[in-house]
Amino acid sequence: MSGALALREPIMGSVQAVGHVPGTRSVVDPDDAEIGRRFAAGEEQALAWAYEQWAGQVHGMAVRAFGPGPDAEDVTQQVFVAAWTGRARYRPDDSPLPAWLVGICRHKIADAWAKRDKQRREAEAAMTEAQARPGGPVTAGVDAAATDRVLLLDELDHLGQPQRGIIELAFFEDLTHAQIAERTGLPLGTIKSHIRRTLERLRTRLEVDGAALHA
Amino acid sequence: MQHCTPEQLALAALRETLPANEDAHLASCGSCRAEVTALRRAPELLAVPHLAAPVDDVPPPPQVWQAIAAATGVTATPADHSPVRAAPATPAADPGGTVVPFRSRRRPVLLTAAAVVAGAVVGAGAVTAVQSTGEDGDSVTSVALDLLPEASGTADVVVRGDGSRVLQVDLDAPALEDAYYEVWVIDRSVQGMLPLGVVTPGTQTVELPDGLDLSEYPLVDVSVEPLDGDPTHSGVSVARGDLDA
Ligand SMILES: [Zn+2]
Repeated sequence: MSGALALREPIMGSVQAVGHVPGTRSVVDPDDAEIGRRFAAGEEQALAWAYEQWAGQVHGMAVRAFGPGPDAEDVTQQVFVAAWTGRARYRPDDSPLPAWLVGICRHKIADAWAKRDKQRREAEAAMTEAQARPGGPVTAGVDAAATDRVLLLDELDHLGQPQRGIIELAFFEDLTHAQIAERTGLPLGTIKSHIRRTLERLRTRLEVDGAALHA
Repeated sequence: MQHCTPEQLALAALRETLPANEDAHLASCGSCRAEVTALRRAPELLAVPHLAAPVDDVPPPPQVWQAIAAATGVTATPADHSPVRAAPATPAADPGGTVVPFRSRRRPVLLTAAAVVAGAVVGAGAVTAVQSTGEDGDSVTSVALDLLPEASGTADVVVRGDGSRVLQVDLDAPALEDAYYEVWVIDRSVQGMLPLGVVTPGTQTVELPDGLDLSEYPLVDVSVEPLDGDPTHSGVSVARGDLDA
């Protein structure tokens, strides 16, 4: 958070006459950290800036998961609406705003998968019943992955830093523990013990609440 | 032979390659392998390409923003891809802010105050260099902030050891509800303005951007900003001082 601020272009205007024309953009391009702080403070303009900067990234992820079209657009919309309504939970000092948005996007993608999976199972169960096939629900336990994924992402949200950042680099950027140490500047031993404890914590969460258990 | 350490088993669950000895042990030890299998479910579910760090931007179509704006009630709009530059300095027919007269104030030269300031910012970086913009060559450029009777204060330019500068603002003003104070530097025509940050009654420092020429922006201004998301100056100033006065 230290580091020199880049010199921005001044706002041109007059104190006596503040001419803010709705729909036009200020000449100031705030940096990412500034957008994050203003977003957390609830400034509406910051939502528009965040969208300008990162909607392409979020939508890109959604398109990768669902292909281009209404599903990806729906996820993108949900991410920004959830981020805005949940902005009280955003800690600008903990993570950059785009990383937080991407985290929410993972949740929305996993939620959409779980919902599809549930619909599919319900459809299958209905069909099984209609056909009076013996053997009960055919997919019990098999599709625990979708709901377990939702659980695990939730558990990641409860991790503090640096644990969360470390495991995200391992999971989502496919870095080795040595690369993570290099990236974060933390000692190798610290990285290894955080990875160990986080994987144990995730395993415990699955054992306690996992879908497979309740299927 | 000794079992693998818990840390090594976690790395194996992430499919990292273990040193040859441990790798050989893992291949032959059922209990270590069972542990890796148990730890592996989370990475297998989450470390999938669909959830990986984003690579390619795909701009969403315009209706996505429209839906977000409708759902949140936010009226600010993202720039389209032909950014509109606000026309400089066209006074609006109906000024949105309070018109306040500008008064230049003499800069008090207080070397004792300078020493206090130097002490106060040690936590942010030792003060070893000093700014000598003033004709007196004093260690800190200090300016009294004054404009409206409700608010007063001082602003001190402090150069830190690494050459970066901060503005230490000591603001004596009432606490605000539903609004906040923001400190700016403004050029002499009162047209170009740079917001430096949010300030509260009391003493605090805000960073001065590298490359900022304070002789170009000699006016230090404290404004009252409503929580309206508009990053421009509200037009309501409560305190102001002139670094060159
Ligand atoms: Zn073993």
